[in-house]
Amino acid sequence: MTEVKIGTKVPSWTMEHVDAQRMKTMAAILRDPYEVHWDHEAVRPLGFDRVINQGPLNLSYLANMLMAWQGASCVRRLNVRFTLPVFEGDKLIAHGTVIDLEQVAGEHRATCDVHLDRGKETVMVGTAVVALDQAVSS
Amino acid sequence: MSEEDLHALVGHRLPGGTRTIEHWENWLLTDCTGSDQLGDDLVHPVALFHVPIQGAGTSIAELFELCGARGAGSVGLDGYDWEYFAPLREGVRYQIDGSVTEVERTVSEQTGRIADRFVYTIEMIDPDGVLIARVTNHWRIRR
Repeated sequence: MTEVKIGTKVPSWTMEHVDAQRMKTMAAILRDPYEVHWDHEAVRPLGFDRVINQGPLNLSYLANMLMAWQGASCVRRLNVRFTLPVFEGDKLIAHGTVIDLEQVAGEHRATCDVHLDRGKETVMVGTAVVALDQAVSS
Repeated sequence: MSEEDLHALVGHRLPGGTRTIEHWENWLLTDCTGSDQLGDDLVHPVALFHVPIQGAGTSIAELFELCGARGAGSVGLDGYDWEYFAPLREGVRYQIDGSVTEVERTVSEQTGRIADRFVYTIEMIDPDGVLIARVTNHWRIRR
């Protein structure tokens, strides 16, 4: 397995096409009454013609990137800010870079700068802490 | 909502309760994210949005009502801070409690429009009394 160091790039993860049908399923799971996620008539007065993705789904793409990198139970903390709305049909790419390494209760962890991009725009930014599968060196 | 009423929300405790994440729910949730299923009863990390809210005995609609959100475009997400002290698993009955922890009123210098920051924190505890997760969510309510 590749050694993890400060500056290591987390392999990116791509959502090729944000799907309005998934937003509908998500709205039902969340019991989310906010119609901007599923009703085109609700977003038109806001100046949009596509429904808006749920914030948790945007965050899930960052989580998927981290789990694909270090395993399904690796996530220890997600701390993010939403900077722009995401719409149905958008292509998003999650990115991350290791900025710190530490050992907590015998567990090696990496803190990563993370961001979710739509083309040249960043729609979400923050930090994530993940448990590492292997010993690290700084 | 007056500024006085807004500040009175700090310390408001959610009803509290218990919540078990079922396999079907986790399957659909994980599918929505575009991820492969995780296996080993592991719950997708994004469950930390709705499970704490529902388990604390409330709902997104009730939280909107509590903070006085009205209509499309009135609620914005500022950010989330989610801590995982152990992985979440299907079939575990979690005790869940939370409260409103911060509010702040801001007024735009350009437009005079009011926007209120609304922050709540919820914790999940497993049947052995171990803290499993804590979420702190920051919303912005446009008046």
